[in-house]
Amino acid sequence: MTRTVDDGRSVAHACAVPVSDEQLWEMTAEFVAAGLNRGEQVVYFDDGTADHVLERLTDDCVAVSPSIEDGSLAIVPPDATRTTLRSPLLAVAEIVSATVDGAVAQGFSGVRLTGQFNYALQRAGGVSLAEYDAVFDDVTRERPVRVLCLYDRRRFPEGAIDEMRARHHTELVVPAIYDDGLLRITGTGPATARVAGEVDHSNRPRIRRLLEATLDEALRSHAAPTDITLDLSSLRFLDVAGAVSLVHAAEEFPSSHRLVLAGVRPRVLRVLDRCGAPFAAQLVVRPRTDVESGVGAR
Amino acid sequence: MRIETTRSAAAVRLQHAAAFHGSDSDLLDQLVPLADTALRAGEAVALALRPATEQALVERLGSTTGLARLHQPESADTASGQTAAGRRAMELREITSTTGAPVTVLAEHTSRLDGVDGGFWTELDAALNVALAELPVRVTCFFPELPLHLEILDGAHRNHPLLLRAGQLRHNPQHIGPREVLTTRPAPPPVLLGPPDLRMEFSAWQLHEVRTAVEQALEAADYGRERAEDVVLAVNEVATNAVEHGTPEARLSIWTGPGGLVCEIDDGGTLRDPLPGLQAPHPAEARGRGVWIARQVCDSLHVWVDARGTHVRMRATP
Repeated sequence: MTRTVDDGRSVAHACAVPVSDEQLWEMTAEFVAAGLNRGEQVVYFDDGTADHVLERLTDDCVAVSPSIEDGSLAIVPPDATRTTLRSPLLAVAEIVSATVDGAVAQGFSGVRLTGQFNYALQRAGGVSLAEYDAVFDDVTRERPVRVLCLYDRRRFPEGAIDEMRARHHTELVVPAIYDDGLLRITGTGPATARVAGEVDHSNRPRIRRLLEATLDEALRSHAAPTDITLDLSSLRFLDVAGAVSLVHAAEEFPSSHRLVLAGVRPRVLRVLDRCGAPFAAQLVVRPRTDVESGVGAR
Repeated sequence: MRIETTRSAAAVRLQHAAAFHGSDSDLLDQLVPLADTALRAGEAVALALRPATEQALVERLGSTTGLARLHQPESADTASGQTAAGRRAMELREITSTTGAPVTVLAEHTSRLDGVDGGFWTELDAALNVALAELPVRVTCFFPELPLHLEILDGAHRNHPLLLRAGQLRHNPQHIGPREVLTTRPAPPPVLLGPPDLRMEFSAWQLHEVRTAVEQALEAADYGRERAEDVVLAVNEVATNAVEHGTPEARLSIWTGPGGLVCEIDDGGTLRDPLPGLQAPHPAEARGRGVWIARQVCDSLHVWVDARGTHVRMRATP
């Protein structure tokens, strides 16, 4: 029986089935950030996905570069990830145990493992994903390790997801207000939502609906804040009609309320500027302030 | 009750006149008083003249003070009347917003841009009527009395509400609106390009694939990040229009080369407005802003219609 939790920060060995890439980056970044916060060493097995995870961590205001420099965030390059996923089980068990022991010896309180394990589907070393997972499970019983296994629908076939899900005692499930694979909207607090991905003609009406629902809720509750906040740190594209609809929505707000767009990337900011955002009295646009410029936020 | 108005409230809006000349000296004799009057009133004069004419005018005026030169298309091959009009509107908007005063524009036909039949001028003047409609500009377009193509005179008579004859502005009874002009003489298709580097069909749910394709084409060339993002936005807007107002399926073609990126969007629909995106959209109007922004971003954006549907070709240099 698989138990579901909605907070992945302290699970020992859990799986998650992200419905979209956006959710994959979101879950991974949250798991990684929690480890860095607690003084654990985080090991990310990259297979062409690390850039997106690092981008999302930067969106979430996690200082990535210092963590990579001091070794608390270790990114296993794709080649090495694939080598590991075709090694014999015993060797993998040894690598993982040695990594944990090494981390503890360096003063880390434990180790977190996550990453992109879909290469194991190919059984290049004759070992199945399920067998590797059993190794992880064994190690988590003996050592201070937390493992988040991600089986996202883009990279894992349905059968493999069902099988792996059944093998895990804990599944991390994070609900979204909306997720179509291009745009993901999550509620992050009272009158606050996070809008991640891309807004275009295919999903633009969702933004309007989100704002209507959030405003409605805020107006009905005296305790709710008078600022409706959309966190746009992970919004990579906003089309012109999308920008116009945000500006118009703010103009139609009751005078008691404001629409606050936070963490706005330069690309999105330029579209908003061209669509009259600077002239909308009840619209507050807070551009993103990048602590680190190297990690690419477009 | 009588409502008092001040003179400044009756602001100048586009005043678009055609004038004809029989020789270079006749042309100059007509240009000089127009420029002189404007300059005496402290207003700017913007020129779109042939180099020889411009030089002769400057000599007659004795100074370049108060004069500005407007951009002219480089060659007939890439010339698009609507693109030239959009660009001229942008330049004039900048001049009028800095001086706050009306601007006198003196323009001249040049056979260099005639193309095969002189249709460029008909499209340009029709598009100017749309693009400059809200601007405080007095435009006088000079044409030879006997141009090579009859179309040039026909177009001039249909597009200009005013005629300058013997120094006097007169109402032109032959004038018709730009949209009617373009119904009888639609914007011409641009030059044929070879097979594209990429061609894909897309629907409203595949606009992100359109963006990715453009992004990848730009990555290969030396576009800065900001420029690349703006070009992707421009193509996205035109592609969105195609599937929103045209047909559910549209087509993207991309050519890359030394002249910059060329993207074409084709759909099977017809145009309600033959010259979309030439006028700054009203803030309260949600539609029409996408193509307007695309025109600001692209070096050229040409819309034309034929039996197969609506086509938009965009060119963007780094």
